[in-house]
Amino acid sequence: MPKLSIPLGDVDHDLLSQLEYAMTFVSEDITSYVIDEKNKTIEAEISGESSRESVVRKISELIERYSKREFGMLEGIHFDQRRDLPPIDAWSGMLERRWVTSIGAGHVVLRGPAALLQDLIDAKVRKVFAAFFKAELELYPSTIMCSTLDRCNHFTSFPEHIDFVSHLKQDLDVLNAFSAECREKGWSPDLHHDRMGEHEFAVSPSTCYHAYEGMEGWRLEPPGRCITAILHCHRYEGANHRTLSRLRAFTMREVVWIGAPRYVIESRAQAEELLIQWAKDWELSCTFETANDMFFTQDYAIKASFQRQQQAKKELRLMIPSDNQSISVFSSNFHAMTFGKAFDIKIGERQATSGCIAWGLERWVYAIISQFGFDPQAWPTKLREEYEDHRSRVAS
Amino acid sequence: MDTETVLSTLRDFIRSEFKIPETDSEFCDDVHLFDYGYIDSFGAIRLIAYIEKAYNIKISESDLAIHPLNTIQEISGFVIRRKKGEI
Repeated sequence: MPKLSIPLGDVDHDLLSQLEYAMTFVSEDITSYVIDEKNKTIEAEISGESSRESVVRKISELIERYSKREFGMLEGIHFDQRRDLPPIDAWSGMLERRWVTSIGAGHVVLRGPAALLQDLIDAKVRKVFAAFFKAELELYPSTIMCSTLDRCNHFTSFPEHIDFVSHLKQDLDVLNAFSAECREKGWSPDLHHDRMGEHEFAVSPSTCYHAYEGMEGWRLEPPGRCITAILHCHRYEGANHRTLSRLRAFTMREVVWIGAPRYVIESRAQAEELLIQWAKDWELSCTFETANDMFFTQDYAIKASFQRQQQAKKELRLMIPSDNQSISVFSSNFHAMTFGKAFDIKIGERQATSGCIAWGLERWVYAIISQFGFDPQAWPTKLREEYEDHRSRVAS
Repeated sequence: MDTETVLSTLRDFIRSEFKIPETDSEFCDDVHLFDYGYIDSFGAIRLIAYIEKAYNIKISESDLAIHPLNTIQEISGFVIRRKKGEI
């Protein structure tokens, strides 16, 4: 296969992982790629010589995007708790024990202790965070209107990972032909060609968008309101789907604040303290640090560097000792008036501000088993006690 | 260059550029312009460009990392100290 090598230019070392992640969305003509840090190049293989020019242009555009940094890329570690842990292949171990079954790219079934651990983490969020902030429970549909995503500026920030939803056209001939061909040959994606309706909906990529659209036009009493919700979300990740650390279908629990700026900002800060206490209690090997979203648009640098400069996003990252890397399992976000403006939510005379904290539950499970192994009796004391307590509650 | 003139110039520019109504009682020299939603990331680019042009100074990445420039008061203080060569 034809190969190409493109210089990395001025991309900072710290941004290479984000560039590597983004590379999967550059072109379907790229069959494989690797970032060569030593020689500062991207080495790629492409499907044919005819696509060389276009692939080079696209990769160069991506490199240019990650070379800019309008507001600087502020770094900050707000909490650091490192532990010397042995490497454990959590994915293989869970597969062997049938705690997890892969059912398609980025889709899994969890069972046994892995399922119970995920349930414990969600229960702990409700017990500690939702109770502390007196969060109101809301229940959401798994799909969301594309027009809502548009109003949330989602398409202009993350167009690459949207899983659109569609249906067969309302047409007797189409329905009959589709059904007949499935009966004769079995289903295949080809049978969708020219037979699908409009994509009015997508699978929700995030939990909290429903919170804002559900409050459209509301006038809030000071200081505002707090909501909690859990949702099965979808994000298409191209070739990046792996283990439980990057799923296409995953579960996100959120606590959301909407109201006066001071209420949202102070609540978020309190939540971050609760989270750090949690990390201490469970003896997690982790960092809590300033972060940015993986904006996949030309204005990446403006959005990401401003987000970092304003500390608008922080992440708890848990170590995966076997990879010598960390994964983000929790984020704390401040949106200012973005959603208040988009959905005309007011507090007093001005638009409401909002913030949210979010847990990616499958990632917690993966990281905890990666750090502490498969025997709950060998887990850190408080984690083990809470797990056993939760197990007995579920059993009864 | 006195403080009140710089404050007033910045206040007028921000109010006009970001369409902040005279009736907004929370808008003041000490309000956090970003937390309170007056200016977003693209607005910040416009604000920096304006300051650099109006006062003939440069604001670098490291300035943004070192100096808090979130309120009119903070920005004014930065402009005056930079013009005096103190920073």
